[in-house]
Amino acid sequence: MTSLVTAHGVTKRYGDIRAVDNVSFEIEKGKILGLIGPNGAGKTTLLKALLGLTDCEGQLSVLGLDPFRQRKELMQNICFIADVAVLPRWIRVSQLLHFVEQTHPNFSRDRAEELLKSTKIRRDSKVRELSKGMVTQLHLSIITAVDAKFLVLDEPTLGLDIIFRKEFYGNLLNDYFDGERTILITTHQVEEIENLLTDIMFINDGRILLDASMEALPESYVELVTSGDNADSARNLGPIYERDLFGKKVMTFEKIEREKLAGFGEMHTPSIADLFVAKIKGAAA
Amino acid sequence: MITNQLALVRREIWEHRSIWVTPAAVALVVTLLTIASFVAASGFGETKDMAIILASNVSDTERKAALIAFLIGNTIAFLMAMWFLMIFYSLDALNAERKDKSILFWRSLPITDAETVVSKLFTAVILIPMITFAAVAVSQLINLILMSIWISAEGGSPGLLIWGSLPLFDTWLATFIVLLAIPAWTSPLIGWFLFVSAWTKRSPFLTAFLPIAVLPIMEYVVFRTSMLGDAIVNRFSMKTMPLFDLDVFRFFDDHKFRSAAEENISLLALLDPGKFVASVDLWLGMVVCGLFITAAIYVRRYRDDS
Repeated sequence: MTSLVTAHGVTKRYGDIRAVDNVSFEIEKGKILGLIGPNGAGKTTLLKALLGLTDCEGQLSVLGLDPFRQRKELMQNICFIADVAVLPRWIRVSQLLHFVEQTHPNFSRDRAEELLKSTKIRRDSKVRELSKGMVTQLHLSIITAVDAKFLVLDEPTLGLDIIFRKEFYGNLLNDYFDGERTILITTHQVEEIENLLTDIMFINDGRILLDASMEALPESYVELVTSGDNADSARNLGPIYERDLFGKKVMTFEKIEREKLAGFGEMHTPSIADLFVAKIKGAAA
Repeated sequence: MITNQLALVRREIWEHRSIWVTPAAVALVVTLLTIASFVAASGFGETKDMAIILASNVSDTERKAALIAFLIGNTIAFLMAMWFLMIFYSLDALNAERKDKSILFWRSLPITDAETVVSKLFTAVILIPMITFAAVAVSQLINLILMSIWISAEGGSPGLLIWGSLPLFDTWLATFIVLLAIPAWTSPLIGWFLFVSAWTKRSPFLTAFLPIAVLPIMEYVVFRTSMLGDAIVNRFSMKTMPLFDLDVFRFFDDHKFRSAAEENISLLALLDPGKFVASVDLWLGMVVCGLFITAAIYVRRYRDDS
């Protein structure tokens, strides 16, 4: 597989605080990676470093380019939607399409018009006149019409209702993702993107806690629902996290043979949300 | 590069509608005032008739000087509006995108920070003067046509009184040169305003004008000198621009005005673009502007506002 992103010892400091602390990872072409972390974990800082919006220490390569020093070249093959509604509110839809057409060599106006046909967005509307959902639809239509190799989405559905959120991810898969392109998503609504992801990365306090493919998770993690003496026996096997659920104990184990847990209770692969909590709380314990 | 610049400058026109609305509004007000003055003059009966007869009998050079004076008077409001427009545009140009966070969108496109900042500078020092010039030319034409209609209606000959003596293209060329020279002369201030616009997290207006007001006072209190104050006042003032061949601001003094008329002088002849371009002060100002623009690019590139 070809690495689209390579990071070695990437660090970003704000004074004494290390927002990103010596992280190393690779993102391969054709993946949909979920970057999950609590508020202030360093997600957005890491994304900004990938997008060339901020300088950082260490070695970072995106599409073979130094993102900070070769941002213009990088932006020809990378698109992003940030967590705030960043489309200028004063601009008309037609003006926005025209501007991107003039400045982006890989943008197809026809494709964008085609995508917008299925929405209620009028070309003469100003962005400020659109609902938040429509602004996101517009932004997604624009970036989908860019023939970019890498798409970065930072909380793209924040503040949208469930219908728009479902539609957003549906459109993302149908219109953008073709197996060749690569997507990096951060979101707090992990359960909504769980089925989309090919890979997952957890980040906390600027450090990567987990970097794995979704396929590898069942082999590496198991959740055991147990109670009574079985709970005591299972606890001796060293769960990374334990919680109570309706009078039972739910334990998360890492890199353990499932046979060892057989007979202690019900086993299954933890959801991303549960694994996230287990890794974050387990690391803090 | 050129396509990007064109798109970026067009974006400035979309975003800052005041760039064209302000000169258009001034043109409208000037035209309405002209119409009002004709209506008022029509009420003076014999005095007005005498004035028309008098104007018909003066020499061609005197009529020419009077028409130049009319055109200059017509232009002053545009010059003042352009001044305010350049200041407020420069203070807002790199600040608005940070306030509404749209800077994240603009920076997601393959456009460098330098291209963006240069487009803002271009808008302030070239586009605004060009649009102002277009508004001046259209406004003057409309006013001269209205004047012709009024003179015809009052029994005078517009061919003799206006169009026969009118040095219109000479005046337009002079106006064009002055309109481009003003931003060149004030470029260090425009550079400062653009830098403040990119840099400050507070009110750009206060941040820009506070040092301009306070530093010269401090200089005077501490050193008993006024070099900084003089330098700033000179850049705000057209009088000190090394463009004019004589003290053009005394043009309207009776004596000068007569001599100008007698010498068949044109507005263009009052300008010395060669002296202006060769002026060390002009180039020093441009270097200062360049430093501020470089700082603005640096701040936009390196500061993390998101």
